[in-house]
Amino acid sequence: MSMIEDQTTVATFSPAELYARILRDEPTFILDVRNEDEFARSSIEGRTKLTTLNLPYFEFLEDEDGCAARVPSDREVFVVCAKEGSSQYVAGILQERGYKARYLEGGYTSWGNFYDVRDVVNAAWGRIVQVARPARGDLSFAVISGGEAALIDPMRHTQVYLDLIAEAGAKLTRIFDTHVHADHISGGPALAEATGAPYYVHAYDAIHPIDMLPAVIAYTHIEEGHSFEVGQVKITTRWFPGHTLGQVNYRLDAPDGQSGLFTGDGIFLRSFGRPDLGGKGEAWTPMLYRSLTERLPTMVDDSTLILPAHFSTLDEGNAEGIFAAAYSEVRASNDALKPRDEAEFTTYVLSNLPVFPPEYVEIKRVNIGLSTPCDGTANELELGKNICALSG
Amino acid sequence: MTSFDQTLDVKGAKCPMPLVKSRKAIGDLPVGQVLKVVATDRGSVADFQGWAKTAKNVELVGQETVNEGGQDLYLHFIKRTA
Repeated sequence: MSMIEDQTTVATFSPAELYARILRDEPTFILDVRNEDEFARSSIEGRTKLTTLNLPYFEFLEDEDGCAARVPSDREVFVVCAKEGSSQYVAGILQERGYKARYLEGGYTSWGNFYDVRDVVNAAWGRIVQVARPARGDLSFAVISGGEAALIDPMRHTQVYLDLIAEAGAKLTRIFDTHVHADHISGGPALAEATGAPYYVHAYDAIHPIDMLPAVIAYTHIEEGHSFEVGQVKITTRWFPGHTLGQVNYRLDAPDGQSGLFTGDGIFLRSFGRPDLGGKGEAWTPMLYRSLTERLPTMVDDSTLILPAHFSTLDEGNAEGIFAAAYSEVRASNDALKPRDEAEFTTYVLSNLPVFPPEYVEIKRVNIGLSTPCDGTANELELGKNICALSG
Repeated sequence: MTSFDQTLDVKGAKCPMPLVKSRKAIGDLPVGQVLKVVATDRGSVADFQGWAKTAKNVELVGQETVNEGGQDLYLHFIKRTA
């Protein structure tokens, strides 16, 4: 068992390095040594040049030579497991055989919890900063202007937001959720508690749609037309029911004429939010139809930046990993937004609903304070990529 | 409770050690006997199932989760078959 003792000599790679490779579309060979079920549930996705082989570590235990022979020896091997230990073990086996192998620090869990921060807009009035969680396809934003900061849809790991606001020398004054999320745990309530900034959500979303129980977290109700100032920027609430009853978009207006729409799970760049995660898909679909056809046109002009809460595939973003586009582009490229009458739309929606992940019911409970998971449980609830968009 | 002949305690051990140690222990066991493995790593549940399918001389005859003093213990009963 000398392998175990030699493990400290095996090199690692970080989630940030991996994501940089993926964005650059560098050829990358991933050896995922988790069991088949975990691998099937979620795995690292790239653009076009990422190759993955799933070969569970226990197969290496049984047959080191046979397994090693299935791994290409002419390129660097990036080994991934759930937490770290098994990938370190397998990378050690490969290294002993002359392979160039590294393993992911913290395993798939750390990939799932990796956040990428970059500016979408940097102007005289301030910045719009995108905070993405690439493994989940989750997006959130900070608006920083005149020494004030607002967050839109912040996620569970709140320190990343506190750090970026502190680095900007700003003060967090408002925390907005576009809706109560089903796929991931919001950082909003925790940030409100830590900073005293108000946490805004529409009251319709503060009732669990399946349990029919009200929120026990502190929140401030917002509704259509409520507007706020963040430094030089104006943020206006626009009701967009469909994905949830209380889904809202936040329209940003900057002094230079720049506008943006934080759409949450209303519309995405290539799709829109599914109306069935409250368990009422048939009842909510007509509402979604009116939001898309009647409400949305009043919220945007062609140049308005659409800033959604999710992406489904990395190619929705640009080469720099920015997942935002002008409405004119979105309208042209989003097949889900093409004109349909209500009957066609209903058929389209109801025939393109992906699987309903059972944990989404529990995540909604967590987000309104009805359930309080430990970190380990939270990681498991959030494992894998969001399934908030229609699959069509 | 599944019957067993010997016990291996891998409490606190993280992946891949529960399997590495179990594999070694089963090699020291007479053919036909059952080893009870006591683990705290929840990931071991699926991994023992996968390993038993892969390994030629091992059969997973039972799995249980018990709570002992507030801690979940994952019990794997593996039989040496060859």
